[in-house]
Amino acid sequence: MISLRGVTLVYPNGVRALDNVNLDIAKGDFVFLVGDSGTGKSSLLRLLYREVKPTAGEIVVDGIRVDRLRRNRVPALRRHLGVVFQDFKLLVDKTVWENVAFAMQVTGAHTRDVMRQVPRVLDLVGLSHKSRMYPGELSGGEQQRTAIARALVNNPKILLCDEPTGNLDPANTTEITALLQRINLKGTTVVVATHNQAVVDRMRRRVVRLDDGRIATDEERGYYYLGLRESQILSG
Amino acid sequence: MTAVGTVAITIVLLGVFLFVRGALAAVGASLLDQIEVSAYLRADASPAQVAAISRFLALDPLVASAAYVPKKQGLEELRERTKGTIDTALLTENPLPDKFRIKARVPDDVPALAASVRRLSGVDNVVYGQKIVARLLQLGAVLRRVGIGVIVVFFAVAGIIISNTIRLTVFARRREIAIMQLVGATSTYIRLPFICEGLIDGVLGALLAVALLSVARTALWPRLLEALPWAQLAVTPVDSRMLAGELVLIGAGIGVVASWISVGRHLRT
Repeated sequence: MISLRGVTLVYPNGVRALDNVNLDIAKGDFVFLVGDSGTGKSSLLRLLYREVKPTAGEIVVDGIRVDRLRRNRVPALRRHLGVVFQDFKLLVDKTVWENVAFAMQVTGAHTRDVMRQVPRVLDLVGLSHKSRMYPGELSGGEQQRTAIARALVNNPKILLCDEPTGNLDPANTTEITALLQRINLKGTTVVVATHNQAVVDRMRRRVVRLDDGRIATDEERGYYYLGLRESQILSG
Repeated sequence: MTAVGTVAITIVLLGVFLFVRGALAAVGASLLDQIEVSAYLRADASPAQVAAISRFLALDPLVASAAYVPKKQGLEELRERTKGTIDTALLTENPLPDKFRIKARVPDDVPALAASVRRLSGVDNVVYGQKIVARLLQLGAVLRRVGIGVIVVFFAVAGIIISNTIRLTVFARRREIAIMQLVGATSTYIRLPFICEGLIDGVLGALLAVALLSVARTALWPRLLEALPWAQLAVTPVDSRMLAGELVLIGAGIGVVASWISVGRHLRT
């Protein structure tokens, strides 16, 4: 579903964000990208939704060669992807319903389909009863659920999340994590960049650790810190 | 609204300029139209030479019309023209030479035509008001060149005003634009509302300008005619309906192009 081959990203200011990264993510996978700030987690996601182009290497997302994608084809790529951010990126002057419907309307969807699809995703994220409220009237968790509903409304095969729980308290974090898991169970490939250790350790899913722009470790059913089990055993 | 007003003023100036240019060009053209080339023949020109000149003029593509005016007829015409001012009866003999009266097809060709006629044998002298023609032709060329420059400047000014306005709107809505791009909106979809705004600004500005110009025309034009009786402006030199249409089209075009560019800058990621 996602494949990176020898991907290097150097920003115009000379910062080497990613260095020869090779990574494969299968359909239906749930992957955590972990690592300290500035190790390239966000850069990797930004490459996948073609916010930036790699300096070198090949990127394939859902069969699309993203590194060679012409600018006028970028919208088509983004419609295959859902993207969620730490700061939600909601339109404050639109209601929950409008924020979600907006993502369908910009793709030129029929009103009929919007009317059918929006209630479905709002129900999935548990916000049907707040569809007429504005983002300012919602809690952080509810705002993030709105953003997730928006990301899902076009039925993407892949959901990319950049620090989705970064602004949330533990209760809301748990809620969002459970929601992401439910979405993954429905068959959507989910990639989450985070440095929330609790989330990663509770979920026990694949963990890819980035260190200084390189993949340091890649574990199935991993922990936030490699070898945590051993250290736990030692201390416990 | 500021954009509409400023664009209107710019287009009013452009309209006045186009109108004045049209009027000057029309006056110039009507003066040039009256230019005649007189080719005076030598007193000893033979009938064969006259026939040769006549043939040459008939075949020359620069010539619109040519008439042979024998000196008798020339004198009649002179009498007619100077009636009451000069008593031509005092003339003991006819001082005029025979001549050809020639009109050029295109005013710009007059100097060339005159030069080629002068070279024919039997032609003594060629007269066509050289200085006036040269001036008028020069004026025409200057008007054309300055006109293009002025139009370009007006376009640029109106374009910059509109694109600045649009850029402010784009800036105010940059979050929305970023989100639209994120969820896969095409650039055309994102551009469209801004292009519409630019188009509306441009068209409204132009319409306002046209309204102002037509008020000015009905109010000021008759007085201008009174004040400048010597200027042959009695004929409407410029089709004002066409000018109005052109100005509105220009406004619309500037609006679309300017907003297209200013949104485009923001869409590049």
